[in-house]
Amino acid sequence: MAAKSYNISELDNKLADRRYHLADSNPEFTQKILKTSRTIANMCYQCGTCTGSCPSAPRSSYRIRLFMRRCVLGLENESLTDPDLWLCTTCYSCTDRCPRDIAPTDVIMAMRNLAFKRDIIPKNFLQTVQLIYNSGHGVPNNDVNRAARTKLGLPADPPTTHTYAEFIPGIQKIIDHYELKANADRILKGD
Amino acid sequence: MHEYAFFLGCIAPNRYPGCEASAIKTSEKVGIKLLPLKGASCCPAPGAFGSIDLNVWYAMAARNLVLAEEMKKDITLICNGCYKSIWEVNHILKHNDELRDNVNEVLAEIDMQFKGSIDVWHLAELYYDEKICGVQKIKDSVTTPLTGAKIAPHYGCHLMKPQKERHFGDTENPMWFEELIAALGCEPVQYRNKMQCCGAGGGVRGYDIVHALDITNEKLINVREVGADAITEVCPFCQLQFDRGQIEIKEKFGDVYNIPVLHYNELLGLAQGMSPQDLALDLHAIDCTPFLQKVL
Ligand code: SF4
Ligand code: SF4
Repeated sequence: MAAKSYNISELDNKLADRRYHLADSNPEFTQKILKTSRTIANMCYQCGTCTGSCPSAPRSSYRIRLFMRRCVLGLENESLTDPDLWLCTTCYSCTDRCPRDIAPTDVIMAMRNLAFKRDIIPKNFLQTVQLIYNSGHGVPNNDVNRAARTKLGLPADPPTTHTYAEFIPGIQKIIDHYELKANADRILKGD
Repeated sequence: MHEYAFFLGCIAPNRYPGCEASAIKTSEKVGIKLLPLKGASCCPAPGAFGSIDLNVWYAMAARNLVLAEEMKKDITLICNGCYKSIWEVNHILKHNDELRDNVNEVLAEIDMQFKGSIDVWHLAELYYDEKICGVQKIKDSVTTPLTGAKIAPHYGCHLMKPQKERHFGDTENPMWFEELIAALGCEPVQYRNKMQCCGAGGGVRGYDIVHALDITNEKLINVREVGADAITEVCPFCQLQFDRGQIEIKEKFGDVYNIPVLHYNELLGLAQGMSPQDLALDLHAIDCTPFLQKVL
């Protein structure tokens, strides 16, 4: 059935577009998110339960429901350049409550992965990569803590990569396989 | 004795070593032996690493899993963030051939292979599990009941959620942690929005500390409202957010709570007769003394 005509060509075009794509939508973006997030994001019917469950929503302009719509519409630029993308605490409240059994949290994670591919990433995430690359730990030991550990009868350094540094080259190989350290260094240097 | 490879993570051993010491000592009293998982790394941090590239997150967590597979031991751990990485990647790789093959291709470069031969448990769930320990056994291990203290339970997010992929049941108003707390002789209290996040996760603590603290502040208001003497949790990262977070909240918003924050293992340690010195409670940002005077 043809869409009803309103004699406004722009509106008619939009109504004829059964996938509701806007001029700047990228259908591939939606597909990429579906694959990485492993959730049925395209089933979102915009009920808003996710935003209503979100601890970040009441204290910012971050709206998870908006990101869900952007995902369905393929609005790549709008999604990846919005600083609110980084305000999700990944608490999974939205995921547990979504009546469509979607995991909006994983949609956010997928979008963040795609943002990183375009060098869009907050610094603190990259600093964690550097710390783990060098020591195996995202939060490494320090002298105050070593003294406290000794008093407790624990070894000054835990039996992790801190004690067994011979495991660090293996970790670096994994991270280098994905060129994560090189990219982190490059992006941080450019800032 | 049930033996497990003890995955430490970062914040417990490197910021709150009392969590590690108490895990080792308290578990031994209920028939669980924790063996060092030599050469383990950061889990890696699910918020930071997962946000950048999920594939690296899978591979790095898989390396930690393989270390335990080589020991032929299940892993136990004491941090919800570690649980998210180690439990979930184990689960994903066991069920997704494509992702497992990708990970194994990378692990082959360091002569490792993920087999999927072990399971991963949070120590708190082992404490609750009748087959391993159970609430009664915890109760029987108590020598110094923490009578008179009102304790606010904080479940955190990544242990139980997402519910469909986990095995803990209801995530709207669970009560199993309260049972573990009551076993120590203290009174678990209910407060508004108990299941709300601490605010730190997903890289938000590093990205926008004021935003993260504002979430923490809301929880603290709700905890204070019911007159809790302390907060207890099963996640050193939540612990850091509530404990150091109270100092930061004072600086940034001027709100003062002074509510001590103890990991469940630390609380259990006290109830089993460990001293505050044995638990390095002096490393906590919020002074635990008023709470200790009340219960000891
Ligand atoms: S709760 Fe689920 S269906 Fe409802 S708007 Fe959010 S993602 Fe869409
Ligand atoms: S997982 Fe993220 S989007 Fe979902 S409720 Fe929590 S903070 Fe909000």
